[in-house]
Amino acid sequence: MKLNRRTIFGTLTAGALAMSMAACGGGGSDDEGGSGDLASGELNASGASFPDAFYATAIEAYAEVNPDLMVTYNATGSGTGKSEFGEGLNDFAGTDSLVGDDDGVEAGSFQYIPTVAAPITVSYNLPGVDGLQIDQETLAGIFQGDITAWNDPAIAAANPEATLPDTAITLAVRSDGSGTTTNFSKFLDEATEAWTLGSGDTIEWPGNAVAGEKNTGVAQVIQDTEGAIGYVDLADANEVGLVTAAVENADGAFVAPSLEGATAALDGAVVEDDLSYNPLNAAGAEAYPITAPTYLLIRTEYEDADIAAGVKEFVEYLLTDGQELAAEADFAALPAGLQEQALEALNSTIAD
Amino acid sequence: MTSLTTSTPPDLSGRNLSKRRAFANRTATLAIGLCVLVAALPLVLVAWEVLSRGSSAMSLDWFTEEIPRNYRTEGPGMGPAILSTLTITGMAALIAVPIGVFGAVYLNEYGKNKPLAKFIRTMADVMTGVPSIVMGLFIYVAYVVVIGEKLGFAGALALACLMLPIVIRSAEEMLRLVPDELRQASAGLGARKWRTTMTVVLPTASSGITSGALLAVARAAGETAPIIVTVGLTYIYKPDLFYGENTTLAAQIYRNATQPFDASQERAWGAALTLIAIVFLFTILSRIIASRFAIDKR
Repeated sequence: MKLNRRTIFGTLTAGALAMSMAACGGGGSDDEGGSGDLASGELNASGASFPDAFYATAIEAYAEVNPDLMVTYNATGSGTGKSEFGEGLNDFAGTDSLVGDDDGVEAGSFQYIPTVAAPITVSYNLPGVDGLQIDQETLAGIFQGDITAWNDPAIAAANPEATLPDTAITLAVRSDGSGTTTNFSKFLDEATEAWTLGSGDTIEWPGNAVAGEKNTGVAQVIQDTEGAIGYVDLADANEVGLVTAAVENADGAFVAPSLEGATAALDGAVVEDDLSYNPLNAAGAEAYPITAPTYLLIRTEYEDADIAAGVKEFVEYLLTDGQELAAEADFAALPAGLQEQALEALNSTIAD
Repeated sequence: MTSLTTSTPPDLSGRNLSKRRAFANRTATLAIGLCVLVAALPLVLVAWEVLSRGSSAMSLDWFTEEIPRNYRTEGPGMGPAILSTLTITGMAALIAVPIGVFGAVYLNEYGKNKPLAKFIRTMADVMTGVPSIVMGLFIYVAYVVVIGEKLGFAGALALACLMLPIVIRSAEEMLRLVPDELRQASAGLGARKWRTTMTVVLPTASSGITSGALLAVARAAGETAPIIVTVGLTYIYKPDLFYGENTTLAAQIYRNATQPFDASQERAWGAALTLIAIVFLFTILSRIIASRFAIDKR
C-alpha cells in the first residue's frame, strides 16, 4: 500500500479536529429539569481521605435518593481540601483537623459540620496472642522506642494471662503526612506523661519503625511482619483482618476498638460553640480513647443559590439517613445530641 | 596500491578462532543474552501480573458502565475514565503537537545555532526531566485557581506542558535527518523557504514526527499526579472538557488502589490493564507509521 504522506497528515489532523469538536459538543445540560423540590446539578467536594470510605458509601446511596444531584468527594487529604476550600475550588471540604491560620481559609467564611468519627486501632501481629491490653503509658513507651520487646514487664503487667514471646517490636507507621498520625500522636501527647515525640501529621519515629503509605500500607506492614504494632483506622484493620489491642481509656478501663466505643467517646467529649470537639481520651467507662473526629467545612455564603441548596440537601442527608450507613462503612455515627446540633448549625448557616 | 577486493570473501563465522577467543566470544554472547533476559524479566512480570489480575474485571459493561461511587460496590464500570483518558490526552496532543512541531521547525530550519535556539533547546532538555507534578501544580496555580474550577481541559493543558519538550526534541531530531539535498533541490526549483519547509521537509519527516508525537501521547496518558491536582473526580461521562470535573484511568488506578476493599482493588487492576492496552495500541501504531513511511524506504 502506498500512501501519500500528505494524505496521512491530512487525515490525522482531520481526525483530531473531529474528535475535539465532538468533545466540545456534549454535556452542560444537567442544570435543567430538577424534579420537584429536590436540588439538581453537581457538587464537588475534596479533602480528608480518612472518612472517604464513608462518604463514598453515602454518595452512592444518595444517588438513589436524588439522581439529579451528583456529588463527588475527592480524597486529596485534609490540607489540600482546606486550601482548595479557600481558593473556592470545591463546594464543601472534608477535614480531620481544625482550620489553622495558615490553611488559606478565611475566618468566618466556614462552618464546621461534624459527620462521623472512627476509632484508630492499635493493631499488632503476634501469633497466638489476642486480646492484648495496653495501658496509655506503655503505649507511649512502645511507640517512642523505649519498649523494644514483647515480653517487656510493662506489657506483661497489664496482661497477666498472656504468654508473651521475646520477639522484637517493629513499629508500623505512616510514611505520608496524615490526619491519622496527628490524632494518634495528639492522643499520646495529651494523655501520657512519657510521650516526648510531640504531635503532628508526621513524627520522627524511633529506629525500629517501618513506614507504609496510607492506612492500607501500614496494615500491610503489620500483616507481613511478626512482632509488628501500628495504628490503623478500623475500616482497614477489619478489611485486612488485623488483631487489635484494647487500650486504657481516661477512666482506666481497657476498651477494644469498636463503633460503640467511638460513639461513647463522642458522647463524653466537650463540644465547642463552633461544633469542633475533641473526642481523644474522652471521659466515660465505655469510651474508646483514640477516637478521631472528622468534619465538613461548608461556606457561610454561597454565590450560587442552586449549589447552596444542593449542599444543604446532601449534608442534611449525611446527618440523618446517612448516619445509618456509617456502621456499614466501619464509622461511628454521631450521638443524637451532636447530630441535632449539627443539623441546627446547617439550617442556620444555609437559610432556605 | 593493493586492491581491497579479494577473490574469496573473508570467513566471519568464527570457526577458525583459537579456543581462547572462541571461549571469550561465547561467554560474552551468553552474558549479553542473560542481560537481555534480566532486563526483560521485570517487564514480563509486570505485564503478566496486570494481565492475570486485571482480566477478571474485563467485560462489555466495564467499557460502557459508569464508575461505581462506592469503593465496596462490586462490579464493573470504567467507561467515563476510558473516554476521558482519550479526550484529555487527545486535547493535550492537539495543543502540544502543532506547537512542538513548529517549534522544532524553527529550531532546525531557522534558528540553527542562534543564541535563542540554543536557549530553547537547553530549556526543552531541562523540561523533559521536570517531575510531572510540577507541571500539574503550574497549571493549578496559573489556570485552575484563576478560573476557580477544576476542568478536564486543565488536565489537558498540564499534559500538553509535559508533552511539549518531548515533541520538540523528537521532531527536531527527525527534521535533522532530512537530507539537505532535498532542501537545495527545492530551492533550486524556485520554492521559497516556507514552501520548502511545508511541502518538502515536513512531509519527508512526517513518519518520525508522528511516531515521536504518539510516544509522547502514550507517556502522557499514564500520568497521575498532574491529573489529580487539576482535573478532580467524576463518576459519569463528561465528554465536554470545559464543563465540570473529570477523571482519567491513571487517576482511577490511584484512587481505587489506595483502598483496602477487594472490589476497588479489582477495579484498579482492571484500569491498569486497560491503560496498558491503550498505551500498547498507541506504541504499535507509532511503530507501524514509523516503519512503513521511514525515510530510507523512499
